[in-house]
Parts: sequence; C-alpha cells; structure tokens
Amino acid sequence: MTTTAGPSARIPFYRDVRVLKWVFQVGVFAVVAAVLYWLWGNYRVNTESSGIPTSFDFLGQPTNFDIPGADFSPQERVQNAYVIGLLNTIRVSVVGIVLATILGILIGIGRLSSNWVVSKLSTVYVEMVRNLPLLVILTFVVLGLVLQAFPRIEDAWTPFGWLVFSNRGMGLPWYQEVSGLSLLVLFAFGIGGWWALARWRHAVSDRTGAPARSGLYGGTFLVISVVTGWLVLGGRIDLPTVDGPRVTGGIGVDPSFFAVLVALVVYTASHIAEIVRGSIQAIPKGQGEAASALALSGFQRMWNVILPQAMRIAIPPLGNQYLNLIKNSSLAAGFAYFDITNVTQITVGNGSPAVPAFTLALMFYVALSLITSVFVNIANRRFKLVER
Amino acid sequence: MLETKRALIGLLSVMMLLVAACTSTEGESETTAPATGETVTTGNGGSESTGSMLETVLENDMIRCGTRDALPGFAVLQDDGSHVGFDSDFCRVIAAAVLGDAEKVEHVDLETADRFTALQSGQIDVLVRNTTWTASRDGGEGATFLTVTYYDGQAMMVAADSPYQSVSDMAGSVVCVTKGTTTEGNAAGESARLGLDWEVRPFDDTDLLQEAFLAGQCDGWSSDSSQLVGLRSAYPDGADALRILPEVFSKEPLAPAVLDGDTEWAQVVNWAIMATIQAEEFGITQANVDEMLNSEDTRIRSFLGAEYTDSDGNVTVTDPGLGLPTDFAYQVVKQVGNYGEIFERHLAPLGLERGVNALWVDGGLLYVPPYR
Amino acid sequence: MTSATSRSAVPPQRSRALIWIRRNMFRSLLDGLMTVVFGTLGLYLLVRSARFVFVNARWEIVEVNFKLLLVGRWPAEHLLRIAVVIVAMAAWGGLIAGWISGRRIRAGLSFSSGSGPGARIADLTRRFGLIFGSVVLMLLLTDTAGPWLMVAGAVVATVLSLMAGRWLGKRPTGSPWLTRGLFLLVFLVPLVLYFYMVDAVPLADWEGFLFNVLAAAAGILLCFPLGVLLALGRRSELPLLKAISVVYIELVRGSPLFVLLLLANVSLEFFVPAAVAPSKVVRAVVTFTVFTAAYLAEIVRGGLQSVPRGQEEAAKSLGLSPFKQTALIVLPQALRNVIPAQIGQFISLFKDTTLAGLALGILDLLDGARVVTQQPDFRGLGLIIETLVFAGFLFWVGSFTMSRESQRLERRLGVGTR
Repeated sequence: MTTTAGPSARIPFYRDVRVLKWVFQVGVFAVVAAVLYWLWGNYRVNTESSGIPTSFDFLGQPTNFDIPGADFSPQERVQNAYVIGLLNTIRVSVVGIVLATILGILIGIGRLSSNWVVSKLSTVYVEMVRNLPLLVILTFVVLGLVLQAFPRIEDAWTPFGWLVFSNRGMGLPWYQEVSGLSLLVLFAFGIGGWWALARWRHAVSDRTGAPARSGLYGGTFLVISVVTGWLVLGGRIDLPTVDGPRVTGGIGVDPSFFAVLVALVVYTASHIAEIVRGSIQAIPKGQGEAASALALSGFQRMWNVILPQAMRIAIPPLGNQYLNLIKNSSLAAGFAYFDITNVTQITVGNGSPAVPAFTLALMFYVALSLITSVFVNIANRRFKLVER
Repeated sequence: MLETKRALIGLLSVMMLLVAACTSTEGESETTAPATGETVTTGNGGSESTGSMLETVLENDMIRCGTRDALPGFAVLQDDGSHVGFDSDFCRVIAAAVLGDAEKVEHVDLETADRFTALQSGQIDVLVRNTTWTASRDGGEGATFLTVTYYDGQAMMVAADSPYQSVSDMAGSVVCVTKGTTTEGNAAGESARLGLDWEVRPFDDTDLLQEAFLAGQCDGWSSDSSQLVGLRSAYPDGADALRILPEVFSKEPLAPAVLDGDTEWAQVVNWAIMATIQAEEFGITQANVDEMLNSEDTRIRSFLGAEYTDSDGNVTVTDPGLGLPTDFAYQVVKQVGNYGEIFERHLAPLGLERGVNALWVDGGLLYVPPYR
Repeated sequence: MTSATSRSAVPPQRSRALIWIRRNMFRSLLDGLMTVVFGTLGLYLLVRSARFVFVNARWEIVEVNFKLLLVGRWPAEHLLRIAVVIVAMAAWGGLIAGWISGRRIRAGLSFSSGSGPGARIADLTRRFGLIFGSVVLMLLLTDTAGPWLMVAGAVVATVLSLMAGRWLGKRPTGSPWLTRGLFLLVFLVPLVLYFYMVDAVPLADWEGFLFNVLAAAAGILLCFPLGVLLALGRRSELPLLKAISVVYIELVRGSPLFVLLLLANVSLEFFVPAAVAPSKVVRAVVTFTVFTAAYLAEIVRGGLQSVPRGQEEAAKSLGLSPFKQTALIVLPQALRNVIPAQIGQFISLFKDTTLAGLALGILDLLDGARVVTQQPDFRGLGLIIETLVFAGFLFWVGSFTMSRESQRLERRLGVGTR
C-alpha cells in the first residue's frame, strides 16, 4: 500500500500524525474550556442578578456563631473558624487513622488465626461492617449508642474517679501543664538519650550478636526521663470531674467527636483488616515455615518475619484507606462535630456566600489528601529500600 | 469473532454518543429532568423574560411559595399533601390578591440551609418561611424583605424539672440550637453579654436536636419563642415536661422575602400582606366582608375595591396602580381572612398571645401605610 | 474381640471432635484464654442481638412504614409500574446471564451438565439464598397479594429468559443481526423502562430504597463514558489531554463526596442557566456521576496497564488505526479485566447514596429510617435502632451478595492469571 508513496512524497497536513495530534488536543481543550467558560459565565450572571458576593471577603467578617469545646468567640473572623474546623478534621483523622490501623491489623491477623473462635469472630466483624454504609454506622453510634446507652450527666459513670462517662462528654486524666518549654527540654533530653542508647545497643549487638532492642531501651528511657522530670518539676495529673452541667478537668472528649471517631475507626478497620489479611496471604508460606523452623515464637514469627513483609504490600492500599477516612470525616458535619465541613455549612447558613465557602473547604480536603499521599509515598519508598 | 467486533463497534459508538452528552453532564441531565417532569411546575425559573416576576406569576397562574413542612402553627404538611399554618395562609393571601384564587399556590418545602438559594435561583417566587429580617440577609443573600408578619424573639426552653428559672441562672450550661439560623449567633451573643459561658451546640435538624434533648445532652433549647411554643406542644413527653423561660433576648422580625431588584413584584406582595392588617384595623372579617362592600365609610369601600363617590361627586373605584386587581383586598379577606383571624386560626391554639403583634391602635407594632 | 473393636470404634469418633476443639481452640494457654474471652463475647453479642430481633424489637414501625421506606411517597396507583419494571429487569438480567453462559458452553469453557441439579441448587442457594431469604422476609411484612405476584413473576421471568438466553447463546451464530439486536436490547430495555417510570412519577419524586438503588445504577452507567475517556486521556502521550485528565481525576478524588453533594445542593443552580432548576434527585445523580467518573478512570487505567504491550503492537502491525487499536483490541480486554473492580465501585456508590439523604434532604432509605421515628405514634420510643437495623440490613444484603459475586467473577475471569 505504502509503496506508492515514496519517501519524497510529502504527507498532506491533514494526514500528518503530528499535526492531527495537536489538532485533536486543541479540539478537546477547546471543548473543555468552552464548558468551563459556559459554567463560569452562568455563575457570573446568576450571582450578579441576585447580588451575591463572589469574593473571599467573607473570611474577614465576624462569624456570629460559637464553637463548643474551642476557645472561640462569635466576634472572631470566619477565617479563624476555618482554622479550628481544619484542626478538628485533622484531629479526628489522625486519631482515627492510628486506631483504625491498630484495630485493623489485629482483626486482619485474627481472621487468619488458627483459633476457630477468633477467626470466625473476625470474619463476622469484617463481613458485617464492610458491607454497611458508613452513615448507617454513624447514625447508630450517635443515636443508639451515645444518646441512649451512655448515662446522663446527672448519673455520670466515674470509675475510680479517674474517668468520666456521660452522654455530654467523656473525661480522661491528662497531665497538668507545667510549662511548654520545660516539657520540650524534657523531650529533647529523652530523645537524645534514646539516640545514645540506640548507638550503644547497636555497638553491643555488633560485638556480641545479642539482639539490639534499641527501641525497647530507648523508649523506656524516654518515658522514664519525661515522667520523672515532669513529676520533679511539680507536675500533677488533672482528673476529670462533673461540674454541674458539664465535664471539666482532664482532657474532655466531646460526645460528637467520640461518635465520629468510633464510627470511622470501626468502619475503616474492617477495610484495613481485609488489606492486612490479603497481604499476609500474599507472603510465601515458606517464610512462616522458615520462621517456625528457627524456633521463633508465634508472636516473633508474626512481628519480625511476616508483618514487615506484608506491610510492604499493604502500604499503597492502606494509604487509600487513610485518604478515605479523611474524606469520610466530613460526615461529622451532620452530627454536630465542628469539622471543616460543619464550619462551612454553618458559615454559609449565617450569610457567607456558598460557592467560595465550599470551594475553600474542598481545597483544604484536596490539600490534606495530597499531603497524605506524599507521606504514603515516602513510606512506600522507604519500605522498598529496606527490601534490598 | 467478527460479529463480536462489530457489536463492539456498535457499543462503542453508542458510548461515544453518550460521551458527547456527558462532557456537558451538568447541563444535559438537568434539561432532561424538568422536561420529563412536566407535572411539577418547579421547572422554568422566572427570569427568562426581563419583565417583572408579576408577569411570570400571572402567566403561570400559580404562585410558588417557599415554605416548610413541619413547624407546628406556621406550616405543617398534612397527610393529603396540603399545607396548614400561619405562613401557609400568607402564601394564600398573596395568591388571592394576585390571582384571585387563594388555592393557586404551590407550596415548596425548603430546608433552612437552602431557602435563600431557592429564592436566588428562581425556584420560588416568594419566601414565606418564618425568616428573620437582618441586614446581612438584605445585603448578602439578595433578598428584599417586606412587611413583618410576626414580631418574634428568641427564647429559651428547659426541662420542667430543671432548677433554671431565668436565663441568667444557666451559667456554664449546654444550650442546643438548630444549625444555619440566626439563633446560634444570638445564643452565643447572649452568653457573652451575661458572661454565662454557655456551650452552644448546633444540630442539623430539629429531630436530631429533640433526640439529644430527650437524652439529656442539652440543658436549654433555644429558638424563636413562637417555634418553641409549637415544639413544646408536640414534645413526646408532653408539653408539661418543658418550660419556656420568660426572657426574650433577640429581635426576630419574621417577614416574607422576594428577590432583589424587582420593585413591582415586591410592592404587590407587600400590599397583599398589608391588606390583612388594614382589614383588621377596619374591622373587616371573612364573615362581614360582603356587608362591608356597602359600608358607609368610603375608606372601607375604597379599600375593598367597591364603587364610591369621591369628593368631586364622581362614582369611582380606587386603583393605586400597584398592578393588583382593584378588589384584591376583598379577595384576600373573603378567601383567607384578616390578620387577626389568621393569627387566631393557627397561633392562638398553640398558646401564643398577640403581644407586640397587636394593631398599633391596641398598643402593638402592626402599623401599615394608609390605602389611598 | 467385639468389645475391643467397639471400644476402639466409638472413642475415636468422640475424640475426633475433641481433637478438633483442642487444635482449633485450646492449642496453648493463651489460645485457650482467647477462646474463652472471645467466645463469651461472641455468645453474649449473639444472644443480645437474637433477643433484640426476636423478642424486644418493635418491628411494627417498619411494618407500618414499609412502603415509605422502600419507595417513599410513590403514588399507590403507580406502584404497578414498579412491579412491571422489576419483572422486566429480572427478564433482562436473565437473558444476559443466559446468553453469556450459553456462549461459554458453545466455546467449550464450561459445561452445563457438569454438575448435577442438586449441586447446582446448592450452589445457587449459597450465592443468592440471602437475597431470596430477605425478599421472602419482606414479603411477609406486606399485607397485599401484589408483591407476592410480582416476586413470582420476576422468578418465572428470570428462569424463562435464562433458558431463552442460553438457547440463543448456544446456537451457532448465524446472522450478526441477532447479536446486534441483543446488544440493542441490552441498551434499550432499561432506557424504555426508565421512561415508563418517569412518565408516571417525575424523577424528582423518586425516594426511599428505590432512590438508593437507581441513583447508584444511574451514577455508575452515566459515568462510564467520561471515566473511560479520562483513563485513556491519562495514559495518552498527548500532554494537554493528559494534564486535563490528571487534574480532573486528582481534584475529584481528593474531595469528599459529602462536601460535593452539599456544594451541589446550594450552588448547582448558579452554574446552569436560571431557567433550569435541577431537582434534588438530579443534583445527586449529577454529583455521583462526576465523582465516580474519577474513580472509574483509575480502575480502567489499571485495566489498561494489565493488557500486555504485545497486544497493542500486534494491532499496530495489522495496520489498525490508533482509534481502532484502542477501541477494538486494548479497551475490550482492559474492561473485561476490571469488571470486579467496577462492581466494587458500584457497591461503594450504592452505600454512598445514603449521603444524599443527609446532604440534600432526599427521603432515601436511611433518611426515612430517621424520619419515621418522629411520627406521632412512635415518637420518643427510641425506635431508631429498629429502623436502622432494617435499613442497614437491606444495604448489607445487597453489598454482601454483590461483593461475593464479584469475587467469584474475579476467580472465573482469572484476572492476573493470564
């Protein structure tokens, strides 16, 4: 076919792949741009006709609402409310990610346990929770658990006087602030000690072949030095108490925070358990058998041989679950927790323009997601490097 | 396998067609919806013609009135799909005045959070959904508020067996409100003013708030006092389980609103509302409105659109040029009633008293410009 | 002698159970402790839930509001249309399933007579018993004959169309028109049924579980073209195209669906001409489409990567145009590989449709479960658990069955093994 077209024959531009490629791209781009322009035009026309502001000036306005559990007054600016909302989203996400990972790993291992009861119970948990909408779980926790099963503040449950449980909030013991600087110094000292101990242990290990256990030694040192230092400086533990209509002292756990956290952890853990199980199953059986042949205990086999390898496989899907958890935390807005979505909703209800306010919230979520994926990618790379 | 390939080509071409439709997903799927749903009139918003909303309303022969579905006394959705209440009656007042038929109203149920967007987008012609008139709503939400139909104020409701006797007793307590309303700001402001350190908790909807209140998560339930009266009357443990504290700590003038920039329509709605107040001032009721057509008082005959003889001796009918039929006041009173009747019908049974919502002649705030 | 044999015959049987228990529950001290602790916990939860379901629960709230929860305020005179649609969809699904299995038989991939009827019934019970059981359970909650007739009709329609489809599939393909006709049918039937329903009740009034199911189905179908295009765009060497796709995918995947729904609720009308006032259902479906397209794009991209390069090279060497290379060679294989992942996306969308109730105030199944507890008859009784259990159960049965079927499909397609 192509024999007729000699090398000297010029290809007409409309058959030239290079030209076509660009024409095609420009065409697609034009369509996308046209759609966007159309949407933008509509937005301009519609907002102008009803006199709605489109700028971000609303951030400087007073909020006119209060944020429970935060040091916040209604005269403060909307942007400060956004900051608190963002911090609350981060708080519930970080705590949720940690707890969901722990619970998920335990249940994932449980599903593969040789113990029939444990494996069946884990299976039931995973299959049950994974196939329910998160909103069903969250509604159940809020309306069924926190509101109905938790005692009223008048009959708050205070085991040993250390903890407070009521449907208006929970209190946990917390350290009493000595001073930020002295704590920082204590931590710096502890971490320095950890580093020194780790070096020493590694040296011993290299010399004698005994297990280094640097984490154990260093961690113990850190905890002991911080705790004793803090006690010496006159630190005391602040216990929570019921003070009339509220729980004070210690560190308060807002009931809505608790409900959202429980729902997110329960839901995400079921997904993480499946990932962990899949990753463990993907490890060649020989690894476990080899560990047994070395007479490692069941715990050692899991902790030192199988889990490190399994986590390498598990990191990318785990990262996805973390992203999901962050995004799912937006549901908190429907249940009186002041996350970024709730702040946005309320400020829009109080007169801030909807489109800029929600765009801002979306940008925060996209940024959080990007940051999280960066961390996940770093972890992924590090684990890969450890491999060889 | 050839036929499979051919089928796949067919499949793909169908997909490409869909793609063409999908690149403009937003526009495409919306346009289909109202077209397929012609039975509801929520479609075509009014701003196609550059004229007034009044023309659109007359053309549609129907008023789309933004309201709510479950606020006792103000607007409640009945089993048969009709709306009953103070606000719903004012929707009817507008329809009676503009279209001559009080039943030509489509009541559009709106959530608190999207009532203004519904107005802005032309989904409704008028918003009568006990909405507080504030400066920022006048300015920022593109709404024009009209004559106040109810002067309300925010109050506090507590459990009957609680020790609180006044708002200032409630230091350090948890106060629950619904989200996205002026009540949040008022409660926070009151707490700051009296130095009471309240924890103000906003809830997504009234149902959730009530569950929380029942479970003991809140000490106080703050809202407009008219709403509290209604909510109290429908409380699961009975109205006696709750107590409303005497203080009122905010001004909440509830007024209907229309979209900015349409003076003609705003005046029409305004005069329709004011007619109910004027009628009460004249003593015109649903029962005696026909007699009043023959009243000796020319002001009343002029108001009702009946013929009268003016100072020059000409027989005439007053038409102030509002764009309303001359007999609109007659239609309003005949079909719906005067302000006092509407109040007695819906709000008095809840236990609300006229208070500041009495006529100015009785020492209240209801005062409307003269009809001449 | 006899006593010896009987002695040795009986104990092993008892000890086999004992050995099993020993092996699986009391291997070590720790193991035994865990068995006791978790066994007690499990038994406690089992007894409590059983007591709740069979003794304490007041299911009348579900019984009274059964219709409201399932189809919302759908007018009673048009309920027949839903029944017709369900029967027709059963026939439609049966036809496709039958045709596929018929073709597999013809291609020698599986044999219909491979297993006996007993085994087949056992297999079907295992796979669809849950759905069937819950359908029967729900039928028991109704008090008219209509739903029974509908289910009977659907079962008969499925069986008949399954057989018809298999017969068609097994036939050596004579005319390509048959295949084309079938493909057309696959597309047209749901479309026709949609118009049949929308003709009676406008889309804006679709509520209850019906909304959840149909919004999920609409979302996953409508996002398909956009999702595939985005996947191709992201993989393409054309920089502009790639940039657009990447930006879209990453922006949407970084955003929570709930916030997108809230945004659609308060601001979609600003982005379309004022004459168009999209209903809440349309807003929800548009948001689901836009959202799922980004996820589908990533799934399809994975599928495209799984197609060996040789396939594309072979297509090139046959002189196919780039469009044909993608449309006829690469894409079909890629899409086939990602069917299980697509089902997974569908399940997650199905569950996420509940967000529309919270964000937009659509009376979906979950929103209904919350609303009905406020009815005068049931107020303040704390019946939210009952309605939530009912709503959760429906979602659970749906997603559980679908996820198991997708695992089965994954094994059958042999993803990763080819």
